[in-house]
Amino acid sequence: MAAAARPGVEELALLEKLLGLPRGNKYGVQGERKIPVLQTNNGPGLTGLMTIAAHLVKQAKKDQLLGSTAEEKAVVQQWLEYRVTQVDGGSSKEDTTTILKNLNIHLEDKVYLAGNTFTLADILMYYGLHHIMVDLTVQEKEKYLNVSRWFNHIQHYPGVRQHLSNVTFIKNRLYTNAH
Amino acid sequence: MRLRVAPGGPAALKVLAAAGAAAAPVRLVWGDPLERPLASLSPPWVPALELDSGTVLFSPNAICQFFFLARGEEPTDLTNQWLEWEATELQPAASAALYAQLVHGKKGLEAVEALGQLLDHIEQNLTRRGTAYLAGDTKSVADVVVWGALFPVLQDETSLPSELQALRTWFQNMTLSEACRKAADSVLMPKALLEFKSYLQKHPPPCVATERATSN
Repeated sequence: MAAAARPGVEELALLEKLLGLPRGNKYGVQGERKIPVLQTNNGPGLTGLMTIAAHLVKQAKKDQLLGSTAEEKAVVQQWLEYRVTQVDGGSSKEDTTTILKNLNIHLEDKVYLAGNTFTLADILMYYGLHHIMVDLTVQEKEKYLNVSRWFNHIQHYPGVRQHLSNVTFIKNRLYTNAH
Repeated sequence: MRLRVAPGGPAALKVLAAAGAAAAPVRLVWGDPLERPLASLSPPWVPALELDSGTVLFSPNAICQFFFLARGEEPTDLTNQWLEWEATELQPAASAALYAQLVHGKKGLEAVEALGQLLDHIEQNLTRRGTAYLAGDTKSVADVVVWGALFPVLQDETSLPSELQALRTWFQNMTLSEACRKAADSVLMPKALLEFKSYLQKHPPPCVATERATSN
């Protein structure tokens, strides 16, 4: 399979690079689900993808990626949670269909997950969905048109994609519902 | 803003307790008694927080977080970590334990045993930090969210093993707080857990995340 960001430590390395942070953070994993742990000099460290990602954003002083208003911050957190509970938790074809359907509805009238601003939610959802999107057929990409438009937008966002494979989207629709 | 909750819906407990604890000016709307699981993200879902801007929050933890954010309490690494842990580890296990208890008629003690490691995790954190609350010396969103997941299973601190002393003290403290007590009264009483039972019977049994992960 093409290079994919496996949830966890590799993804955090991509995020560090995107944020322009110097390398030097040390990571471990915990438990069967290989939950990432950020090791710190004092204390037990930080556990969990959402938690560490938000910590890195603050470390890079790019707090706007966590949302600006109380509302935006809650929305960002909601989609980060959706990412770690639904996208990472689901493994069947049925789970994938539900996730794509939900996202497609949500993105119908939005440029980004949190509305009009690019946030950490877009970054982590992109990394989490990459392995699903590379496997979609042309027909499926058209079915989840809003997801496709959003995904294509995010993969071209400066610094996000890095070594991950580019997922191609066809500009003109091949399938129509007209007949 | 309008907060839509389902009578007897397990997640209603934490969002109501958070609204109370953060003194959020919400208008409460009792919705469809069938609390929809997150998987079917099509309106109208419950619990849901409808903001004046038109935005609707569907995640119970994000709703709780919003109430605290709105009055200026920013999330910290520690509160984030508790919320993520609650959503990924505690919530699935607590739902499964509650299901076993109410639908399969398992004894309360067995259900508590199923949560063993997770309860230990809370105990160890409280002991190590030596604070009265999960993320420090004052109550935060983390306390409300974790309490909301545990309360339906435990009901009161007497079902906790006596060696979990810090957890017992914290849990009792939370349960006696005005916001939590009021939330429990409005969601669960007087029919108490029968509400949960009828809810749970209408849904497929929850499965624990670790079991699902290996099924691929």
